[in-house]
Amino acid sequence: MSKQEMRARLAALSFSEKIKILEKLRQRSLTIAASSLRRRESSKAPSQAGKVASPPDRGT
Amino acid sequence: MINQMQADGVIGPYAIGGAVGATFYLEPSATLDVDVFVTLPTTSAGRLVSLSPIYDYLKARGCDAEGEHIVMGGWPVQFLLPSDGLEEEAVAQAVATEVDAVSTWVMTAEHLVAIALRTGRSKDHNRILQFLEQNAVDLDRLRGILEQHGLVTRWERFSRKYREGNP
Repeated sequence: MSKQEMRARLAALSFSEKIKILEKLRQRSLTIAASSLRRRESSKAPSQAGKVASPPDRGT
Repeated sequence: MINQMQADGVIGPYAIGGAVGATFYLEPSATLDVDVFVTLPTTSAGRLVSLSPIYDYLKARGCDAEGEHIVMGGWPVQFLLPSDGLEEEAVAQAVATEVDAVSTWVMTAEHLVAIALRTGRSKDHNRILQFLEQNAVDLDRLRGILEQHGLVTRWERFSRKYREGNP
């Protein structure tokens, strides 16, 4: 099936069916956003750990 | 719940717009929220209008507010008041449909395109192109709306940029 045919087939679905697909797409977007946040957090962690391990700033 | 809110006189006619409204005509595409354009029954010229009655009504029925959205059935819903004649007309001429046997209203394809044209972000232009590629819009009707709301020049600019060789 071509991309155009697939789009036409999806467009022809009932609104109720499309809303169900939108819900799945939204859930997927939220999951992806959450996982990229987690990646950012985990990539930040070592540098934060480094800060904790470094000697205290004595204000010199 | 929106229909009940209308029956209770909190809102007047309403219509779904934005990406969810467009999905009525096109293939589904990812969106994070639902735009619902509402009229308020007490709106009159020169009077300050507020969405507070809507938020109060829904919060009293267990819906949570999330910033400018209110969460209904798991979806963040943004209620918007029509900001001009185009959006007022879009609500007034909305199409009746059903979602899981619940009646609701969706803006016409032509109004969705006109509003997207006026909003003018990249994602709006993409959506317009989707409508055109899928022949989901009545071009004569669209032209009438564009003329009525002063959007013809913008449409011509859009057409030159994205639709070279097409009417």
